[in-house]
Amino acid sequence: MRSAATVSNGALVARAKTGDRQAFGQLVEDNYDFIFRTACKWTGKKSDAEDIAQEVCIKLATAIQSFDGRSAFTSWLYRVTINMVRDMQRSSVRRDKNVDAFSLVHPEDDPGNQEESATAKELWRAVSELPEKQREAIMLVYAEDMNHADAAEIMGCKEATVSWHIHEAKKALRGLL
Amino acid sequence: MDDDKMTDDTLSTLKLLRTSAPSSEAKKLALNAAMLAFDAAQPKAAPAKRNWLNRWTLGAGLGVPLGTAVAALVLLPLGTQLYTATSHHIDVPKKDVTIATTDLPAHQDEGEAAKTVATTAAPDNATPPSTSTMTLKQAPTLQKPMAPVAPPVDADQRAVAQATVIAEDAPQTDALATVAPAPVPEAVTRDMTVAAPKLAAPMPANGMLTGGLAQQPASVVPYQPSGDTFQKFDENRTKITKTDPVSTFSIDVDTASYSYVRGVLKDGNLPDPDAVRLEEMINYFPYDYPAPTSLDTPFKATMAVIPTPWNDKTELLEIGIKGYVPPPSERKPENLTFLIDTSGSMDEPNKLPLLKRSFGLLVDTLQPNDTVSIVTYAGSAGVALKATKAKDRSTILGAIDALEPEGSTDGVDGIALAYRVNAEAKGDGTVNRVILATDGDFNVGIDEPDQLKTYIKTQRDQGIFLSVMGFGRGNLDDALMQALAQNGNGNASYIDNFQEAQKVLVEEGGANMVTIAKDVKIQVEFNPAQVSEYRLIGYETRALANEDFNNDKVDAGEIGAGHTVTAIYEITPAGAGADLNDPLRYATSAAASAPVSDELGFLKMRYKAPEGDTSKLISTPITKDLVVANMDAAGTDQRFAAAVAAFGQKLKGSNYGETLSWQQITDLANGAKGADIDGYRAEFVQLVKIAGLLNPDHNGNGKSIYDDPNGGKGQPTRGTGGQPTAN
Repeated sequence: MRSAATVSNGALVARAKTGDRQAFGQLVEDNYDFIFRTACKWTGKKSDAEDIAQEVCIKLATAIQSFDGRSAFTSWLYRVTINMVRDMQRSSVRRDKNVDAFSLVHPEDDPGNQEESATAKELWRAVSELPEKQREAIMLVYAEDMNHADAAEIMGCKEATVSWHIHEAKKALRGLL
Repeated sequence: MDDDKMTDDTLSTLKLLRTSAPSSEAKKLALNAAMLAFDAAQPKAAPAKRNWLNRWTLGAGLGVPLGTAVAALVLLPLGTQLYTATSHHIDVPKKDVTIATTDLPAHQDEGEAAKTVATTAAPDNATPPSTSTMTLKQAPTLQKPMAPVAPPVDADQRAVAQATVIAEDAPQTDALATVAPAPVPEAVTRDMTVAAPKLAAPMPANGMLTGGLAQQPASVVPYQPSGDTFQKFDENRTKITKTDPVSTFSIDVDTASYSYVRGVLKDGNLPDPDAVRLEEMINYFPYDYPAPTSLDTPFKATMAVIPTPWNDKTELLEIGIKGYVPPPSERKPENLTFLIDTSGSMDEPNKLPLLKRSFGLLVDTLQPNDTVSIVTYAGSAGVALKATKAKDRSTILGAIDALEPEGSTDGVDGIALAYRVNAEAKGDGTVNRVILATDGDFNVGIDEPDQLKTYIKTQRDQGIFLSVMGFGRGNLDDALMQALAQNGNGNASYIDNFQEAQKVLVEEGGANMVTIAKDVKIQVEFNPAQVSEYRLIGYETRALANEDFNNDKVDAGEIGAGHTVTAIYEITPAGAGADLNDPLRYATSAAASAPVSDELGFLKMRYKAPEGDTSKLISTPITKDLVVANMDAAGTDQRFAAAVAAFGQKLKGSNYGETLSWQQITDLANGAKGADIDGYRAEFVQLVKIAGLLNPDHNGNGKSIYDDPNGGKGQPTRGTGGQPTAN
């Protein structure tokens, strides 16, 4: 799934760490969409997602030095992005409760899979009300289709902890679904 | 366990979450920021490699965006010029601007000189490079060593405020020094021309504007009050019928562009070219097209082909559409919610007070069974009037009267509240509409245009439409106003005076409130045997892909009761020798095999009933007997529409139809005023006159009364069908 990208990312990361501007520019450009889309799924708001993506891009300039290659670059990037989402959502200013009902995309702008994506949107709303860790676990495992181990790596916790968060989340959601 | 499986399945639908695409603008900003951060993070300045990243930075790791630095460089001397110009030559007549700008080489020298001054002056006054974000607002101080405290010259400030649009963050001192001698890149010069016309209005002859302005000596010098924004668009091009026989667009009944342009002209300024939307100019005027007789065909097309006033060899195909007017007995009760901006900026005579009187007019036209509610946002937030029957007129007027502009602008979810209030007042068969009135402050609780549009579309799908009314100038986001109204199946109007309020709310009140057909699309297929080239005048922002015509999912414009809409094509008859394109060398055989037909083309219109989801088709051939050989034989409506098109094109500095002088346009319009009961056409003639004063004709083709002792009448005007008058 991410093999080709990983290879080229890996090479670019190595060069960027030595101060190669071009490599870093390429790396950021290649991954911007990924960062934005992740942020968008997490926040459901395009403007927030763009802000977060920009912050992540800036952060990458320094954080790239701390990427040690033990995990895949995309996993690491997930973590950086999700942390940024968390930071932003914690600052209370960002939480605009008025704007819950109209995030993401109107069916007319995106004709495919209208029914399903409508359901997904409703579900997303329920999920976004969950506590932080539970929400992250659910999004990684279900929206991003990861196994618990990968999700654990990104969340920086044990696999069992992820499973527990998922379990708790399902319990909370069961009444709503 | 089953339960768990079910939850699993449900949760898997999260995979279907769709995200919108990131905007390229945001991406560019992010990448830019990342590169700056990257450079800052490097222990030493990165070696200056000449690669594609150079467009982001200037020189060795300075991290200054090249484009902005150069733009600023060009703008700095501009400040000087402006300053000297405004302080010493205030009385230089406007006329000289045009003359001077044709004199290119001299300016370049001056420009270079000014640049050098700027560069040498810079180090003395510059802010330390470390704090780097010096905005252009500070620029005049920077490059004026002799006058360190910039006198608050009005024009100067306005110009600089405009300039900040182009270069927001600032160059550092050494960056200036580095780049000064280098030639200004072409791209930046082009950028400059965007700024230049705005600056040019208050700036007399000796301006150092290079390139762009000088290249268009006869062009309009627009002035745009700071803060109003318009969607940029490119004018429709001439198309070759053989390769591109089909033209498709959405109908547009908006008129905001004309009233905006009128206001700007009457204040003695020329509008921004992007503010001039030809179709809205043309559609502003009532035309007396025959109306359909029953709702089965909700609108009817009247066509005519007349000679083009600005081109001897081409013709204008005018398609006039008139909407059905339901008899009073068929009128459905209206459920209107006013969503009114009461922020502090509305506290101007032409904003909230005008709005109050306007809505008073509207209330007078309502039937006892109609419902009115009022929601305000920003400042005094909340429901100002619960749903009230129109028979309780005094309550409604009292609520309108009690509206007060307030300073604070706390973001309340005004729009959601308005829709909620409207939904509660919905009845059987009511016409539901939210009317948003603002001076451009869309602080309605949803801060992002895309989300706002999506929300409005969702509400539209539930049967509540949206109309937008703009008031005042200086803060107007025209593009967003248009977009919101289009997404909400409504129309955008711009109300600049009481008379306009009367037109929009009373005379056209029925049309603007009662939709009789929605998603109206027009498609014209031209016959290459008869028409070799064609060009749609206006409707640039309403263009549709040809395949969207039959796709009912694609949204388009609405027609209200009694609305008239006019579309004009400039067509080149085959063999007229006026083609802009050379004949195709290899495409002849295909055309020969097509059945020979006398028809010029074929008109198709698609529409949906207001509550329907399936479109219906109306089609009719465009036959040769519609052709009117000489202008005098054309109807007054057709001639007048042609005059408006000519005016709009000239005002825009269009590539087409600039050959007419203002006087010729005046004559054409004067000869086509018809009954003009409301005086709109007479007012139009006044506007042409103002535009002629602001931007006199100096180029060879058109003579203006200001450089011709005969007042332009020495030039024979072509078939205007009326007596030339200076009016």
